[in-house]
Order: sequence, then C-alpha cells, then structure tokens
Amino acid sequence: MENIQAYIESGILEQYALGELSPAEQAAVEAAAARHPEVGEELAQVQQALGFYAEAHAIAPPAGLRERVLGNVMAQIAAPAANATPNPTLRADVDAVVQAPRATSAPVQPTAGEATVRPFTPAAEAPAASRSLWAMAASVALLLSLGVNALLYSRWKDASSEVVALQSEKSRFATTSQVVERQLGDLRQENQVLRSDEFKAVALAGTKTAPTAHARVLFNAATHKVFVDVRSLPALPAGKQYQLWALDKGKPVDAGVLTASTATGQGLQLMKDIASAQTFAMTVEPEGGSVNPTLSTMTVVGNI
Amino acid sequence: MSDTSLISLPPAAEADLVRRLQARDESAMTLFYDRYSAALYGVIFRIVKAEDEAEDVLQEALVKIWHAFASYDASKGRLFTWVLNICRNLSIDKIRSRQHRVGSRTQGLDDSLTAQRQAAPTTFRPEHIGLQEITQKLVPEQRQIIDLLYFEGFTQSEVAEELNIPLGTVKTRARTAIKVLSKLIR
Repeated sequence: MENIQAYIESGILEQYALGELSPAEQAAVEAAAARHPEVGEELAQVQQALGFYAEAHAIAPPAGLRERVLGNVMAQIAAPAANATPNPTLRADVDAVVQAPRATSAPVQPTAGEATVRPFTPAAEAPAASRSLWAMAASVALLLSLGVNALLYSRWKDASSEVVALQSEKSRFATTSQVVERQLGDLRQENQVLRSDEFKAVALAGTKTAPTAHARVLFNAATHKVFVDVRSLPALPAGKQYQLWALDKGKPVDAGVLTASTATGQGLQLMKDIASAQTFAMTVEPEGGSVNPTLSTMTVVGNI
Repeated sequence: MSDTSLISLPPAAEADLVRRLQARDESAMTLFYDRYSAALYGVIFRIVKAEDEAEDVLQEALVKIWHAFASYDASKGRLFTWVLNICRNLSIDKIRSRQHRVGSRTQGLDDSLTAQRQAAPTTFRPEHIGLQEITQKLVPEQRQIIDLLYFEGFTQSEVAEELNIPLGTVKTRARTAIKVLSKLIR
C-alpha cells in the first residue's frame, strides 16, 4: 500500500503520460497500472488532465485545411485498398465485358487442318457482331450505372458530412452549456453562502506590511465550513501563495492556501473545515503552503 | 472518475467510432476529423509553431492513425489520449529535427511565447472558456512547466536545467499542476 503511494508520487505516471519513458519503462508502467487499480486510476486521471489541457488549446484549423488534409489522407489511405479488390461483382462484370470479344473471335480463326472446309463467313460473323454489340451495350449500361453510383455516393457523402457538421455543432453547444452550467453552479453556491445567516462574515484588515489589504472570511460555526473572499491583496512574489490560518485559543490551524484566482478577488473559495476559531489571518507562504505560519508575512488579520 | 472531458465523445459513441475505424470504414475518418481536428491541430500548432508545418504534421498523423488503428487498445486508454500522443510525438520529432539543424534549444521558449500571443482568439470560442479557467487556476510557474513539458517536448530534467531549478521542484510543480487540471474536469 505504502509502496503504491510512493510509486504514484514518484512522478513516473506523469513522465509516462508525457512520453518521456523508454519502451521498457513504459511497459513496466502499463504492467503496474494493470496490476494495481489505484495506479491505473491515477494514470487515467493524469492522461485525462493533459487531454483537457490539450483541448483547452484547441484551434480551429485555417479555412481550406479540412478539404486539403482530408482529401490527401483519403487518397493515401484509399490507394492500397483500391489495388486489392474494389468490388468483386463489379470486377467480374468488367472482366466479362473485356473477355467477350476475345471469346467470340476464337472460332473464326481458321485451323490449319480444316483449310478446305471454310466456314460460311457471314453466318459466323453475325453472332460475333451481335455479341460485341451486346458487350458495347453492357459497357454503356455499366458506365451509366457507375455514373449514377458516383452521383448517389457524392450526395450520400454530402448528407453524411452535413450530419457530422451538425453533430460537432451540437457537441460544441453542449460544451458551452456544460461550462456555463458549472460556472452557474459555482455562483449559486457563492450566493447561498453570501445570503446565509449561518455564515458569519469576519472582516480581515491589512497589517502594517500591507495597510490597504482587505479580505473577508465567511465562517459557519455549525458546519465548520470556511469561505474566503478577497477584496484586495498585494501581488505575490514568484513561488508564493497566500495561506489562511484560523487561530483557535492562540494556536494557528491551517485553513488551506488561496488559488491565484481567489487571491486576485475573482470569487469565493471553500477552504478547509475549521472546528473552532476566534481569529483568522493570512500569511505569504511558499507554494503549496506551510505547516506553521510565517508571522512576519502576515498580510491581513481579523477577529470574529 | 467522470468522463466530462470537453470534446471527447461519450464512451458509447467513442466505442462505435473505434469499431468503424478498425473495420476500415473511410467515412468514419471524416467523422473522426470533424471531432478531433481542432484539438489535434491546436496541439500540433503550438508545438511546431508554423501553419504549413502544422498542416503537414496533421495529415501525416491522420494517415499514421489510420494505419495504426489495428494496434489501438481501448483498455489502455481513451481514443483521444492515444491520438493526441501520436500527434504530439510526430510534432516533437519535427521540431527536434529542426532544432538539430539550427542547433539551438533555448529559442523554442521565446518562439512559444510569441506563438501564444499570435494564437490568442479574436472571436469568442467556447473552448477558450476552458483556457480562461486554466489560466486563472494554475499559478504561472505551474503553467510554464506544463507548457515546457507538453508543448516544447522538454523532459523534466531539461525543464530543471532550462529554468535552473531542482528536478524535485519540477516534479512537484508538474504533479500539482496536473492535479489542478484534474479538479477542473470534475
């Protein structure tokens, strides 16, 4: 158990997902993922996260690219297939048409032994001529049917690409509404917190180091939920994050770090649950937070 | 774990598409293109940073994907992950061979920043809501590392060298950043 956690935290799954590993190392990761569900789950999450990152950077390709690329790709992937056997029945028809004149011409050829007995030429040529007529008619019919097939095929393709276009449009709408819904959900939750009587607003005022800093903590003593709402905080140096602390009887308790968007005042953030507190304060800590507050960096503080 | 990745297909539709592609159904390729090209092109473009080259790589990748479909194993990961990796690898090979010629490694970083500026959307596109969220939630240091790893094809040790920070820090930041992204999906 301990080992699996260490394996996951070693960063090898990230390296796998980013394609940094040798084939042997890759196989080892795949084996580990198959053997331990936790590893498999974590790996799937890492891959999904990177996939999400990629999707977020999607760019609609320039105009005309779709036709060019798809055309070339189709030509390349269709080429070997056409050489094999396109359509067995069509092939047989074509062979029959090609072979028809050759077959009929055979009996007309005089054989050396029967030189004296000449076949009555007009009678022998008549069926040959009518057969080649039939062959011509068959070729014409075949060409016509190919033409119609091509037409029907192109219409069918148009229809199917329209369906595809509609489908992708639909999914784009679904995407938008999904994102909007999530944002709405967040806002709704924020609104509930802000309107709730159970939440007590604690104003945190700037200390000497940052007199203009100003933030609020919303604390629900019954459910122990803590939200933080930033009005204005000084910009952070690189590699630092704001961390919220609850002071319970003078003892600091970690309430979690603020994300970059919370620190710039873009919305409420749910912090760690706090059982009891009399004072809240924020300090500047190295990225990821500290175990104990660096008191010299205290930026805002406020009592309940 | 949820499957609410933005443009990935629902599992049933994805399985159907995979089945058609593995059965060499060429019309499925059009569907595949319309579904994934923007995401794939986005990644390729951000790696190779030139439109004509991105087009070449996309085309090359699609042909490769078509021929490699027989070897795609759905139990090892999502279709999107698989095709994304093929595109990323081809693009990184492309810039590697170019960098060999130019013989410079650091140039990539400056290029990537200009490319990002150029690629800024001029019109509203829903997929960029995702990007906005990412920009807000990732601290700049995390984003820089993910970009170097993902779009510049740097290894973690190369990132450590480039940014002059310990390898351990690179690993931690990469892991934290990926965790943040995971949380955004759910």
